Amino acid sequence: MDLFLQYLANGIVVGSSYVLVAVGLTLIFGILGIVNFAHGEFYMLGGFAGIGLATVLGLPLIVSLLGVVAFAALLGFLAEQILNRQVKDKDPTNSIVSSFGLAVVLQNAALLVIGPQPMLLRTDLSMVPVEIGPVYLPLQRALIPVAMIVLVGALHLLLRYTWVGMSLRAMAQQPTVARMCGIRVSRVAIVTFMTGAVFAGVAGFLMSSVFMVHPLIGNMIVLKAFTVVILGGMGSVTGAAAAGLMLGIVESMTSAYLGNGLRDIVGFLMVVIVLLAWPQGIFGRKLERS
Amino acid sequence: MKHLALFAAAIALLALAPVVLGGHGLSVMTLTLTNLVLAVGLNLVAGYCGQFSFAQAAFFGIGAYTTAIMSRDLGTGVWINLPAGIIIAGLFGLVLGVPALRVKGHFLAIVTIAFQTVVYLTLVQWTDFTGGQNGILVPGVGETSILGIIRFNVQSLDSYYWLTLALAAVAIVVAWRLVHSRLGREWIAVRDDETLAQAVGVNTTTTKLSAFVASAAFAGAAGALNAYTMRTAAPDDFTIFISSIILAIMILGGKGTFLGPIVGAFILTIIPESLGEFSRYKMLFFGVLLILTITFLPGGIMQLVRNARTRRA
Amino acid sequence: MTETETNMTRPVLEARGIVRRFGGITAVDGVDVTVGQGEIVGLIGPNGSGKSTMVNLLTGELAPDKGTIRFAGKDITGVAPYRRARLGIARSFQMLRMFTSMSVEDNMLTATHIHMKRGLLSSLLNLPSARAEEDEVRARARDLLAMFELEQFAGRPVTALSIGQQRMVELARGVLSGPKLFLLDEPAAGLAPPNVDRLIALIKRMRDEFGISILLIEHDMRVVRELCDRVVVLDSGELIAEGHPETVVNDPAVIEAYIGKGWSRRAQA
Repeated sequence: MDLFLQYLANGIVVGSSYVLVAVGLTLIFGILGIVNFAHGEFYMLGGFAGIGLATVLGLPLIVSLLGVVAFAALLGFLAEQILNRQVKDKDPTNSIVSSFGLAVVLQNAALLVIGPQPMLLRTDLSMVPVEIGPVYLPLQRALIPVAMIVLVGALHLLLRYTWVGMSLRAMAQQPTVARMCGIRVSRVAIVTFMTGAVFAGVAGFLMSSVFMVHPLIGNMIVLKAFTVVILGGMGSVTGAAAAGLMLGIVESMTSAYLGNGLRDIVGFLMVVIVLLAWPQGIFGRKLERS
Repeated sequence: MKHLALFAAAIALLALAPVVLGGHGLSVMTLTLTNLVLAVGLNLVAGYCGQFSFAQAAFFGIGAYTTAIMSRDLGTGVWINLPAGIIIAGLFGLVLGVPALRVKGHFLAIVTIAFQTVVYLTLVQWTDFTGGQNGILVPGVGETSILGIIRFNVQSLDSYYWLTLALAAVAIVVAWRLVHSRLGREWIAVRDDETLAQAVGVNTTTTKLSAFVASAAFAGAAGALNAYTMRTAAPDDFTIFISSIILAIMILGGKGTFLGPIVGAFILTIIPESLGEFSRYKMLFFGVLLILTITFLPGGIMQLVRNARTRRA
Repeated sequence: MTETETNMTRPVLEARGIVRRFGGITAVDGVDVTVGQGEIVGLIGPNGSGKSTMVNLLTGELAPDKGTIRFAGKDITGVAPYRRARLGIARSFQMLRMFTSMSVEDNMLTATHIHMKRGLLSSLLNLPSARAEEDEVRARARDLLAMFELEQFAGRPVTALSIGQQRMVELARGVLSGPKLFLLDEPAAGLAPPNVDRLIALIKRMRDEFGISILLIEHDMRVVRELCDRVVVLDSGELIAEGHPETVVNDPAVIEAYIGKGWSRRAQA
């Protein structure tokens, strides 16, 4: 039982990072209709930027975090400029192809600049133990679910109660009407991309203490995030939050009880089953799948 | 007839490549022809039938591992392994085609990406069967014959090149017939308007599945032969990056056109392989090209050709 | 009734007691529609009366919640759209649909696949038998294009044609597929008056020369009056009148449905 709780806690930590990445992905899809395959690279670059600031430059963690936020926001801005050009009236898969191209570019740029060596963030916080009953986590890991809750909670409030949030939701529901009502579509697109990139970048930074960061890590992360987005229902923030935690826990349990080799495959099997059985996602509202 | 003569001339010209090219040049040409078969195959499902797929490298790998595993465990030769690779890849194509009946566009793309990743992870992790990260060594084709009549020995780089050229030639002819048959017209019908296709009596289910199977079978053939050429089957040759290269070839050449992927294969294999000391920027080059093409020239090179023609007309 | 009489009067299409609901709304409520051999039946009614739903139920795009559809003596209620097309139901669409990347001729040819006798394999191998069949089909396509005054466009991309011309391609395509029944969903929509006259003549020829029975959904009452042997009127998903066009248009219930109290009564409901 104790071991089970420990696996559960590990699952929640990893799941929280999936939530952070998936929320941005689902926002970008829900609001702009773009499937951003380069989203995993925000995570990867956030991780490297954080390690660079914290260990190479030796900045305090909180300053490093702010640096990561700024850097990720810039990345999001640039990605929007590249990817949000060809969505209108064209093949919906075009955005996948170009974002996939962007992912390849960012990964290989990272390989050339940083090199293939995986890196891990080690800080003083990893020495501080947090014990809740039988469960043990280093403080640095325990902070990840906390950060997730704070960020997703803030996003939820933002979407619900602010003018920006209302424009975003209007865009998601009725892009044409929103445009007619005077919502600056291009600004909404930029805000969406920047938010998504910041969430993913922060996740990459926080997780750099749990999993090694390397230039190709984005591939797997983005696939996990897609899994979450599909399970949670495309475009649904709460769905992504629930599905992200669920995926983290299922993976942790699979790895513990069925073997580590199956860990990365189980999510894909879930995706295939969900797409075939509940095309609108487990937690999602009904949506036309095309 | 004009087409046929041009085609025969092109194949004959390519058959002379070993006379002029050295070892490196010839391997590049072999790779070009392999990519050609992969891209022509992908074009059937993605270009003509409009069902997007990021999984072509997975089927390529399935073909290669069919050769590798059958050679290792059953000791079979090329004339068994090649058809087996085609059939097994085709069957997996059918498996991937099933979700395509339920989901479209973005969702289908993601499913194919997931499929590609599952195949790759299986190749890496099922060590007992696939040899894990190291892969499996493959014996050469060696002395063989076609139906016991035409005997030949496949050992040198030249002979592997010719074998690949023969496969590419067959692949082009088969693709031509597929596209210009009733089936090809039904693929295009499904791509253009599924509802209308059904209304005129097209069984869209079997039509889509047939496109997935055909596309996978092409990749399976390329893989089964490529395992011999490379003398190995290893998972890193079948990653999503290889899928993206094949995709880039198809898109740059022009998806849904017959010549597009063929032209694309020559351009996008020969240029990156000639980068020399810049070859480490190869993937960067593919990525940038993919973005630029899809943004500014979604119809690819063949679209330019068509535009030029209509302007003249 | 003698045996021959029953055969002669047996309708091509026989839909009985069709019900279809969307959520809480009943779009079609217990409607009967029959089309006899060689008959042109009009299906009319104000907007939102359930005409389009009815068409989609007959072609199989939607499944009815209740009721049966028989076609040429067979129960086709649960049969997939493409199978209905193969059995001999052609349709045109209210919103024009074309295979946009194909030429006019190829658009026509897709409709002939269902009747090709040579196997797919012989088509793939381009065997002489398959080629002969393809040539024959092409010739028939050309003849029909000529009938619809489109022969000079055969090789053109279909999108290069005007909407009116594309409407004609749609009709020619339907005729080429050799149907027993053609469902025409507002074929006159967007046509200029002289073209409407041509359309009327062409629809008559479809019936007289090709023996195609027709179910015509149409707003243009002139078209309905000139063509239809019988008219079925829907309102709010219910059949409110049926009979000869002249009788039906003077039916008080029909007039009410189009202009009168119907509106106010529905507004109160």
